Amino acid sequence: MGKDVEKSTKLKEDGNHHFQSGDYIGAESLYSKAIIADDTNPSLYTNRAMARIRLGLYESAIADCNECLKLSGSKGNLKAYFVLSQCQLSIHDYDAALESALQAHRLCVETNDKSLGPVTNQVLRCKKERWEEMEKQRAREGQELEREVIGLLERERDDMIGSCDNDFDRDQVKQEWDHKIEVLRLTFEKSRAASEKKREVPDWVIDDISFGIMVDPVITKTGKSYERASIMEHLRRHPTDPLTREPLHPSELRPNLQLKEACQEFLDQNGWAVDW
Amino acid sequence: MANLGPRRLTKELAKISNSLPPGITLVSADNLEEWFLDIQVLDQNPIYAGETYRLKFKFSTSYPIEPPEVTFVKLDTRPIPMHPHIYSNGIICLDLLGSQGWSPVQNVESVCMSIQSMLTGNTKNERPPGDEEFVRGNRLRPRDIDFYYHDNTV
Repeated sequence: MGKDVEKSTKLKEDGNHHFQSGDYIGAESLYSKAIIADDTNPSLYTNRAMARIRLGLYESAIADCNECLKLSGSKGNLKAYFVLSQCQLSIHDYDAALESALQAHRLCVETNDKSLGPVTNQVLRCKKERWEEMEKQRAREGQELEREVIGLLERERDDMIGSCDNDFDRDQVKQEWDHKIEVLRLTFEKSRAASEKKREVPDWVIDDISFGIMVDPVITKTGKSYERASIMEHLRRHPTDPLTREPLHPSELRPNLQLKEACQEFLDQNGWAVDW
Repeated sequence: MANLGPRRLTKELAKISNSLPPGITLVSADNLEEWFLDIQVLDQNPIYAGETYRLKFKFSTSYPIEPPEVTFVKLDTRPIPMHPHIYSNGIICLDLLGSQGWSPVQNVESVCMSIQSMLTGNTKNERPPGDEEFVRGNRLRPRDIDFYYHDNTV
């Protein structure tokens, strides 16, 4: 394809104007024309993907992100991963969405990019939605099993009643089996309540600055850990340790890998905790 | 991080609505910009015995990276406590509340506790030097005032 960078840039700028004014159809078609003029500029694809997300065209937005990543090569592309993660979440591809969000987070940290906050939130959102989906599935399976077992008991009860030869026995048998069924129902009910009640967030997963669950905890000289996005935001304005007010430079922060794993494990089992 | 403030304040509110230390009560928090809390001094300090004081917290969008603005407000039943670091218009001179002394690990509860203990430990039933003049002339917001911490023993 031909390459007319000047024409392409002009079309892209036009597209940006349309995007900002909320005309996503117009923006999408201008970005497409810009790509025809120059199909080697990665940012044209992420821009078009953003417009396509607004139009609900997730599959083609994903294709754009992948094209952008291909063009960006080994150094990756933060924006492409970020947009990709949003698309994948929209089509309920939770594992892929989390993977993309984590790639975006990694690039963010490596390049010291200012979007660490939103990217960290995206990681949390992916984890939460994935957990909710798994919970729904668990609940559905539990209900199906309950229905099935109760069905079996009812059939057994009816068979027994059928084999009785007087009303007194029939009544006895019916009462006995209805009681069993009720006990089973209560047992299922109780287990459901228990899994919903155990909802406490331990302090060690909480970042003292954002009060959110930590995704990428980093530790300071004092031994205290913070979410990377929060402490970086603080250090941008005041380069001091939040506890001791001693000078603290971003390069002195160290990842706290064990705590990161522990937080990850906690979230895997308690996805609701993302918005406790 | 964009929107750090609202999220954190929502969580702080959830926490302090459940429990607060003795002598501190939440009066109202109708939005995420302005909250009111009452504090009492619990020991037998004669300067403050039997009184309740009302604190007003004002949060900017950069909270908790920047400190909240905390002042005492005067009502019929809520006087401004006497203290060499508290002006009669309710402005509190406390390093914790200035840009330099603030830290984002502080929170509404810890600020209340600091103010409570600042009162508890005080023995001087007086206003800061130059109170009248300051109250008459001051047009600055508390955080922009460059307080001179004249007496660190208080």
